[in-house]
Amino acid sequence: MYKILMIVSLIFFSGCSEKLVRVMPYEKEYFAQDKMSLSPVADRAEQEGHVFLIREASAGGESAFQGGCGCR
Amino acid sequence: MKVILILLFIYANIMAAGKEGDKATSFSLQNLYHLDKKVSFDAYKGKVVLLNLWASWCGGCQEEMPLFVKLQKEFQGSDFSILLSSIDKDSKNAVDFLHDIDPNNLLDALYDSEKTLPKAYRCIGMPSSYLIDKNGKIDTVYVGSIDEEKLVTLKAKIKSLLRK
Repeated sequence: MYKILMIVSLIFFSGCSEKLVRVMPYEKEYFAQDKMSLSPVADRAEQEGHVFLIREASAGGESAFQGGCGCR
Repeated sequence: MKVILILLFIYANIMAAGKEGDKATSFSLQNLYHLDKKVSFDAYKGKVVLLNLWASWCGGCQEEMPLFVKLQKEFQGSDFSILLSSIDKDSKNAVDFLHDIDPNNLLDALYDSEKTLPKAYRCIGMPSSYLIDKNGKIDTVYVGSIDEEKLVTLKAKIKSLLRK
């Protein structure tokens, strides 16, 4: 019973692996296109982009890494 | 129970990103400027290599590229090469970008249309750079763009690897 539980857990956690649930950084070409920007207004886009980076930092951000604190 | 733990350990190791001390992945990829020609990693045997995984659409990659040109100029004539591997969907975008930054083609450029290297290295961020020693082992992994500050330590590491 214990072994079955372990195997089921292993399969379950594999399903949650980050490779499956998020777009890998080298697959973000379409996200980098202008039409995918958060705002068509240039002034706002920079600020919204900053917020986006803070939010997404733990998952690799847009291109460079941050700690997620928003202090950079 | 032991078997499960061993399997879990093996699985975790297989899924791990390329790290310091690992053997660099061998490859044979297209030359970015001459797509009909192939470039093999074996050609860099005995050299210190900075393998950079990049794309023209990646902001961080664009920022660090002029520094790489400067770095390669500084080590011109030594056993150090910067090897760029572009993962752009269209190789023309990468060529156009490099044409402005590196008009004299100082940097060796590859085209990895199938994204084999980022997949092999399980690259966790773009850009990613791998400093590889003369024996083909990864010495240092740089995730994110290399700035002037990182460049200072990178140069010191390159010099030390060239002396070995």
